[in-house]
Amino acid sequence: MSSSRLKPTWFHLLLALADGPQHGYAIRGLVAERTGGEVKLWPATLYGSIRQMEEEGLIVETDHGEAPGDDPRRRYYRLTPRGRAELAAETDRLQALVEAARSSRALREA
Amino acid sequence: MTLEPPVDPATHGRLRRLASAVYRGSLLVLPSRFRDRFGTDLLRDFDEETAAAEARRGGLGVMGVLAAAVIDVARRAPVERWHVGRRGRPGPRERSRMTMETWGREIRAAARGLARRPGFSAVIVLTLALGIGANVAIFTVVDGVLLEPLAFPEPERMVSVRHHAPGVDLPEIETSLGMVNVYNRWARSLEAMAAIDDDSRNLTGGDRPDRVQVLSVSEPFFRVARTAPAIGRSFTAEDAAPGATPVAILTHGAWTGRFGREPGIIGRTVRVDGVPTEVIGVMPPEYAFPDAETALLLPLYVPEDATFGTFGRVGIARLAEGVTFDEARREVEALQARIPEYDAEMTPEFFEQAGWSVTVETLRDRLVGDARASLWIVLGTAGFVLLIACANVANLFLVRADARQREVAIRAALGAGRGRLAVAFLSESLLLGVLAGAAGVGMAAAGVRALVRWGPPELPRLHEIGMDGSVLLFAGAVSVLAGLAFGGLPVARYLGRSFARVLRDGGRGVTDGRQRHRARNVLVAGQLALAVVLLVGSGLMVRSFQRLRAVHLGVSTGGVTAVTVSWGDTEDVASAADFYLRVVEELRAEPSVASVGATNSLPLRPDGLNGGSFRIESRPRPEDQLPPVSMWSTVSPGFFETLGIPILEGRPMTDGDTRGEPPYVWVNERFARDFLDGAAVGERVQRGEMAETWWEIAGVVGDVRHFGPAEEVRPMMYHPLGPALPPNVSVSAVSVVVAGRGSGGAAVDAVRAVVARLGPEVPVTRARSMEAVRKESMADTSFTVALLGIAATVALLLGAVGVYGVISYVVSQRTREIGVRMALGARSTDVQHMVVRQGLAVTVLGVVVGLAGSFALTRLMAAILFEVSATDPLTFVVVPVALVAVSALACWIPARRAARVDPVRALVAE
Repeated sequence: MSSSRLKPTWFHLLLALADGPQHGYAIRGLVAERTGGEVKLWPATLYGSIRQMEEEGLIVETDHGEAPGDDPRRRYYRLTPRGRAELAAETDRLQALVEAARSSRALREA
Repeated sequence: MTLEPPVDPATHGRLRRLASAVYRGSLLVLPSRFRDRFGTDLLRDFDEETAAAEARRGGLGVMGVLAAAVIDVARRAPVERWHVGRRGRPGPRERSRMTMETWGREIRAAARGLARRPGFSAVIVLTLALGIGANVAIFTVVDGVLLEPLAFPEPERMVSVRHHAPGVDLPEIETSLGMVNVYNRWARSLEAMAAIDDDSRNLTGGDRPDRVQVLSVSEPFFRVARTAPAIGRSFTAEDAAPGATPVAILTHGAWTGRFGREPGIIGRTVRVDGVPTEVIGVMPPEYAFPDAETALLLPLYVPEDATFGTFGRVGIARLAEGVTFDEARREVEALQARIPEYDAEMTPEFFEQAGWSVTVETLRDRLVGDARASLWIVLGTAGFVLLIACANVANLFLVRADARQREVAIRAALGAGRGRLAVAFLSESLLLGVLAGAAGVGMAAAGVRALVRWGPPELPRLHEIGMDGSVLLFAGAVSVLAGLAFGGLPVARYLGRSFARVLRDGGRGVTDGRQRHRARNVLVAGQLALAVVLLVGSGLMVRSFQRLRAVHLGVSTGGVTAVTVSWGDTEDVASAADFYLRVVEELRAEPSVASVGATNSLPLRPDGLNGGSFRIESRPRPEDQLPPVSMWSTVSPGFFETLGIPILEGRPMTDGDTRGEPPYVWVNERFARDFLDGAAVGERVQRGEMAETWWEIAGVVGDVRHFGPAEEVRPMMYHPLGPALPPNVSVSAVSVVVAGRGSGGAAVDAVRAVVARLGPEVPVTRARSMEAVRKESMADTSFTVALLGIAATVALLLGAVGVYGVISYVVSQRTREIGVRMALGARSTDVQHMVVRQGLAVTVLGVVVGLAGSFALTRLMAAILFEVSATDPLTFVVVPVALVAVSALACWIPARRAARVDPVRALVAE
């Protein structure tokens, strides 16, 4: 599983949850912010992905109210250990890709 | 789990609610299991997103979010459905996904097909856009005027109560303060009733002295309307009591327009009719009752023991919790019997003689009033135009469907089901419908701007008209329906047919030519029938308008200008009258003024006109009879002459009469005829019960259509303007009428100059030519005439194009046959006659059906017709003749082409 590449949407979702539990709408905001508005997760895609990732065991619904000021009407999600591992693996994979690209370019330019 | 929106519903815009509803609807394509789990989240996120988008980019932002979110749902739906299906749910979901894909593919194919035939597509889109545009424009007006609620919460629970006493010639007397007390005391079905009264006052303070619209309201008004000032406070019962500090509430418009949104406005003193008045509040921006012109709200005092009499206030109330309109109406009607408990002088006999009755209606019905009939007629008209456009397009589509026969047959042979083929046809027409809808909305936007600009000023709530979500929804629905209507026809025709035979015939359709022509002929005949109905309708309106214009108004409006000069509401009638008389006197000396007079009630615009009972000295009335009733106004010497109102008997009014010693009065012909058998001069009349003065009738003047050309002449008394005016004659503002020498502008300037010299504080407003006043009094009719005229013209054009199209097509199909005929010796005139005859047969069929339809439908117009029967013979003759003539012309063009067919070529080409 960890060898196959993650869908970009999933990667963004996992990344958004890396710093702690969030509800759907906040995830959307974080992703938009992180990508400079490039990636906009519209509701159906967002919750569809959440459903799939839950089924894959990457994220799990938590009890809300872990932080003060959390909205009790919202549902919060957090990473599972497996989700965290997938995120790390994908980050490594992307890192490797970037390095490969850099070095190939460096080689070409040299 | 509840589906409550996250933001305050009050700030939740109408458009966003609509977008939310559309989005909610779109979620239906998602599997129910997904919706159960995430529906709330989806909706809440969507609402937050639209709220943010609205704040950033307004309505456009909301629409953008809606579009993106719906596309997102559509893209996600197959994944979620597949997911559910994979878990063992059976086939229908699978099938619906297939259908969606099918539609997608067919719509793309249709788009490509239409792009390949830009001419064909453009004609269809334009034709439909015309029809849709007309509908959307008219719907916008109807929506704005009839359907949009007043800007109060639950406006449908607000009612107005008015009374009628036709037995004493007072068919409409609104309500009195006493009656308001009656209802507030005893009507359990009404939460509260407020008395309101609109009139105009002089407002000084702010950036200029001016005459402004004022609404006086009794204390429960804010409860009844469920509204309150945005800044400051509303009126209390004490504010209205006698001796209280005068206070006023500004409307948002007045605060913005006259006081530059001054933040410290609360507590400031302005002068209302010269009385220092403290501003205690500013209404919210959406407040525009009874119209957007209103600048000021003043408290209205309703004494505990207000008399039953003195009607003329408007009573508005809110239904009590849980009470239906009908229950309230029944209770209000029943309460009339208890009036004697409130005022013992009002006996049941009086009510019987007066023909007393009461009307309860919703406030909206009340405000919209007579405009309702014309608006619905115009909307119906626009619907007809759309039907005609659809028929036209359906005809084009039939031609096109013929051309596609072969393609259809091949697809069928390759295994495409009939459903799939139906999708192919419908997707093309739906696409065209939606394109036309978009173009139509554009046309409508321009049209609405024109309507708001040129529409009759009397059309209530015109300023509130604008395109909004419900209009767009309407446009969308109309477009899709139109697409289905004209696209459905070829589908119905082709799906019942043997494809094998089509293939065998080489797609030429020789054998069933007659049947195909029949469908087309029926469409054209239907179109023409609709056109006949519209032409008859607009013909009747034109005839009404002619009659209206021909009415003898009793005044000559040419070259006369009316200027409003307002002294303001005052107890001191003598000073006000004296001021106006001095203005008139000085104007007489002006070289630019040929003739001048003044009145408190301008003919055709009867503000300030009052009426009541009187008695005649020589004809004491029996105890059991009600006194006669007349309208009264006051005029200065020179008034009758300036407006060309003839003195039929007696003498003209002179300057000496203005002193009121001895008291003289002038009456109109109707008065003399009704009450004094035509011999009025020298008779003496007394006004009201408590009056002491006997007024001697010094002259009888010609009848004037005071209330407009369509309204009856009422008995009138004209009192000379002066210090000795009887009560109930308001002189807070008068219209100075001037006939100028040379250009009218100089005379108006003279009025301004004289008023500025004699009373710099007195505002001069609204200078309008009497000709304009006359036109305005007919504005409703002329507006309907113009709209129906445009619709009928479009209908006629489309009808002619339809006939032309069908006959041309028939001619092109029959080229070979015509060639044979000519080869056999037919002359070209024979051929022409043959073709024209065929076209006229269709036309006559359409005209006959149309006349029958008109006969049935124009009855609905009776209410807005004036002195013209709904079955006016002239209209019913001229319209068919004109239509047949136009249709003959439309046939003649292809007929000429047919006559020029070269037999040799026609035969060789085959």
